[in-house]
Amino acid sequence: MQPDFDFTDTPVSTGTTIMAVEFDGGVVIGADSRTSSGAYVANRVTDKLTRITDKVYCCRSGSAADTQAIADIVAYSLNYHENQTNKDALVFEAASEFRNYCYSYRESLLAGIIVAGWDEQRGGQVYSIPLGGMLTRESCTIGGSGSSFIYGFVREHYRPNMALEDCVTFVKKAVQHAIYHDGSSGGVVRIGIITKDGIERRIFYNTESGASAVSSTPSFISSE
Amino acid sequence: MDLDNARELPRAGFNFDNCKRNATLLNRGFKPPITTKTGTTIVGIIYKDGVILGADTRATEGPIVSDKNCAKIHYLAKNIYCCGAGTAADTEMTTDLISSQLELHRLQTDREVRVVAANTMLKQMLFRYQGHISAALVLGGVDKTGPHIYSIHPHGSSDKLPYATMGSGSLAAMTVFESRWKPDLSEEEGKKLVRDADPTGVFNDLGSGSNIDLCVIRKGSVEYLRNYELANKKGKRQLDYRFKTGTSTVLHTNIKDLLVTERVQAVPMEIS
Amino acid sequence: MSILAYNGGCVVAMRGKDCVAIATDHRFGIQAQTISTDFKKVFHIGPRMFLGLTGLQTDILTVRDRLMFRKNLYETRENREMCPKPFSAMMSSFLYEHRFGPYFIEPVVAGLDPKTMEPFICNMDLIGCPNAPDDFVVAGTCAEQLYGMCETLWKPDLEPDQLFEVIAQSIVNAFDRDAMSGWGATVYIIEKDKITERTLKTRMD
Repeated sequence: MQPDFDFTDTPVSTGTTIMAVEFDGGVVIGADSRTSSGAYVANRVTDKLTRITDKVYCCRSGSAADTQAIADIVAYSLNYHENQTNKDALVFEAASEFRNYCYSYRESLLAGIIVAGWDEQRGGQVYSIPLGGMLTRESCTIGGSGSSFIYGFVREHYRPNMALEDCVTFVKKAVQHAIYHDGSSGGVVRIGIITKDGIERRIFYNTESGASAVSSTPSFISSE
Repeated sequence: MDLDNARELPRAGFNFDNCKRNATLLNRGFKPPITTKTGTTIVGIIYKDGVILGADTRATEGPIVSDKNCAKIHYLAKNIYCCGAGTAADTEMTTDLISSQLELHRLQTDREVRVVAANTMLKQMLFRYQGHISAALVLGGVDKTGPHIYSIHPHGSSDKLPYATMGSGSLAAMTVFESRWKPDLSEEEGKKLVRDADPTGVFNDLGSGSNIDLCVIRKGSVEYLRNYELANKKGKRQLDYRFKTGTSTVLHTNIKDLLVTERVQAVPMEIS
Repeated sequence: MSILAYNGGCVVAMRGKDCVAIATDHRFGIQAQTISTDFKKVFHIGPRMFLGLTGLQTDILTVRDRLMFRKNLYETRENREMCPKPFSAMMSSFLYEHRFGPYFIEPVVAGLDPKTMEPFICNMDLIGCPNAPDDFVVAGTCAEQLYGMCETLWKPDLEPDQLFEVIAQSIVNAFDRDAMSGWGATVYIIEKDKITERTLKTRMD
């Protein structure tokens, strides 16, 4: 028998819980923060709420490499588009571009993406692009491996047109339930509120007091 | 015996000419040869004034240690270095390639290159090869936006972190960081932390071993501390084996003299 | 069985004081059957530079020819002799070009820098990961045995005569325990002013 040093063959995936909810005036997006490589947690403070434009974000689930690569391409392309037209990109334009990549390369990609954001035409919108590359608009959607644990919770507690703070509490609770039950979701709950003014980020630590377990410069624990 | 097709100008990029033949050989039951791996412990942290990268120095070929003191902290740019784990040739060539692209980028923009640029180039290249280039990297550097550490996986995903570990000894090293890393470490504390984290890999992971290299990158200066710590010294030999001249039986000897001796002789010109 | 062990054979190179040594066995076989006993895997490719190639024989010859072509092109273009270091770098990138369909060889380079006369040794895996230590490099079917022999016998700053004894004893005793290598050995000692080629008496079984 030879010693096995091959750690490079295990792909890194965001076994994830992600969700997004529309409310009057914007959207609330949420995600856990665990990235795993097999049984090893490769990153426990991941930011799965990825910026596409100032007012369009995506939540990534599936292969970390695939989703990062597509998000980078779409972000680049929409940035170019915004510069050319001198207008903010529509959420649907972003979602449709994601769909094009996810559908064209559906055989080789492992990516489940939620695109959410706000634009002047249609306000807060949530689009879901599951594994095969289908695109649907939904007012509330969940994704990732952890989502299967919270279908019941979401069905029970979701009400159309909730107030902003109710939305935040709802998303936070749902992701916390998923983190509890799903082994490949974990860490903190990251929440983003996208309105006409851009994004506001919130973090909910997974501790008894609700405070961070490490005393730290906020720059690493909060986004970026 | 010269092959006619040897006279072929090298084309750019990878060459796939042997793939079909090699696949046939493999199908006939020959095992694929093993390549040199750096089953490694590589680490990187952010401290108060910059970043510190650390690596062990063992390269393995299966169970054989093929290099006892290899350098795994690669140069990318003046302000950016990168530790590599995985297939040794892949980490070496990938970092070399990106290093040259970064230099061209620096000349074209006339600015110090940023760590994000290196991260993007590396992840896009690795993603393009879909994990077939097995390079697991810890990228670290300081630019005008501050210190940065990225960990990049072979399939092309990357994470921006305050401290990162990679390679087969990464789990052991991560335990040290998880318990002892805190923001705004001083340089001495940072070096000590990296120096403590790396040997946990060296001693507890078979794939890592030998010495510890460190690289401290601050704003405007870099200190590459090759063999910062000799964690494993070979015992000193008290006596030595010395063969008497003529121990090995020689059948015949052929000496080729390399000194060119020329004698120039003046020849008188014939004058008629 | 590994393809690298199809034809058998081994090469070892060592650094001495102002000199380098490179040694090869003579066997060419097809698995367990010995075909010939005068196949030297070490090639004299420059005034003070040798290239040793072990592995699949067909690839040894192909790679030798391809590298010689590139080396000659370099020398014609630059009008100067190629040093061992750039030659190794060139070989490394040549082998890495074939990263996804490699040649089944393991190369060893030994030589003196033509300007500084600094000894240089280097080996690589089959996809061109260079390794240039300051003691010795080995390749071939009895690499394990060679590592053991060299690790005990080699010491720094060996004079040419001593270096010959050390490398000769290393290779002879290493391939005695390898069925795929042996049947004679040749040692080349490269010095500033001369190259000494010695054929060793070995077991022929």
